[in-house]
Amino acid sequence: MGMLPDEIKPAMQGVIPAHVVTCSLDGTPNVSVISQVYYVDSDHVALSYQFFNKTTKNIRENPHAVVWLISPETFESWDLEIEYDHSETSGPVFEAMDMQIEAIASMTGMKGIFKLKAADIYRVKSARKAVGERIPLFQIKELRGAA
Amino acid sequence: MIPDRVVEVIHGPAFMAAGTCDAKLRPAHTCVIGAVVHPDKGHVTFFVPESRSEQILANLRENGKIALGVGMATHEAYQLKGVYVSSRPTDEKERAVQETYRATLFSFSHQVGYPEQIVKPYVFGFAYEPGIAITFRAGEVFLQTPGPDAGKKIA
Repeated sequence: MGMLPDEIKPAMQGVIPAHVVTCSLDGTPNVSVISQVYYVDSDHVALSYQFFNKTTKNIRENPHAVVWLISPETFESWDLEIEYDHSETSGPVFEAMDMQIEAIASMTGMKGIFKLKAADIYRVKSARKAVGERIPLFQIKELRGAA
Repeated sequence: MIPDRVVEVIHGPAFMAAGTCDAKLRPAHTCVIGAVVHPDKGHVTFFVPESRSEQILANLRENGKIALGVGMATHEAYQLKGVYVSSRPTDEKERAVQETYRATLFSFSHQVGYPEQIVKPYVFGFAYEPGIAITFRAGEVFLQTPGPDAGKKIA
């Protein structure tokens, strides 16, 4: 059995943006929003590499990263500990991510800005629900009486 | 000094997250529910749920470096990097700030087109009480709005 349970898959649909935290060799963290975390298999995810930025630079020098995800169905959040493995610039994962990014860009008014350069493949070291970060849906007072 | 526009974004309504890392260079993430820029425009106090504070406080005591990402629903985004100063439990006044923050974040995000059935449970589902107030001194500010200039240092 792999690290990623099936119940995490809705959190990878790109409905709610994810966060990724990386760290440079001098110990400086970097946090950024990512439009897509792609489920490759039960032990691997792919992150979109669109611009050469601090996340990309950090990952090339220190492969450890943390991804935060939230399900648009249960609104539970997850922490994934991941480690960079390799990048793909063609093939089925790249093609599928490219199509999804186009769709996300259209939906969010970022068409022409989001452009996939590579699918960065990471090994998932752990996947845990972010306990205590979210209020259970039935306890959210602002939702009571809502449709 | 934090630019005025970035102060406005931090005061919201912006989605926020903090990043830290430990001595072995393993990063950690936590969502931030509200933040206040001090009058000197050099220090920021932000709020995290107590239940999520243990790892980042341990990291901050180890290496002291912090990143705070702030992004509007319009995609305008910035990142502050700085050095840990202090932490303590949030007080009543700060909890009021957090409640206002959640309400304005919801109404603004909904106003710019995010569907209510997503943004309402997302925003009001952030646990914020009991909370921890973490103060850091901002050293650098970067543009993070998606595009080729993302990552550009602006202060």
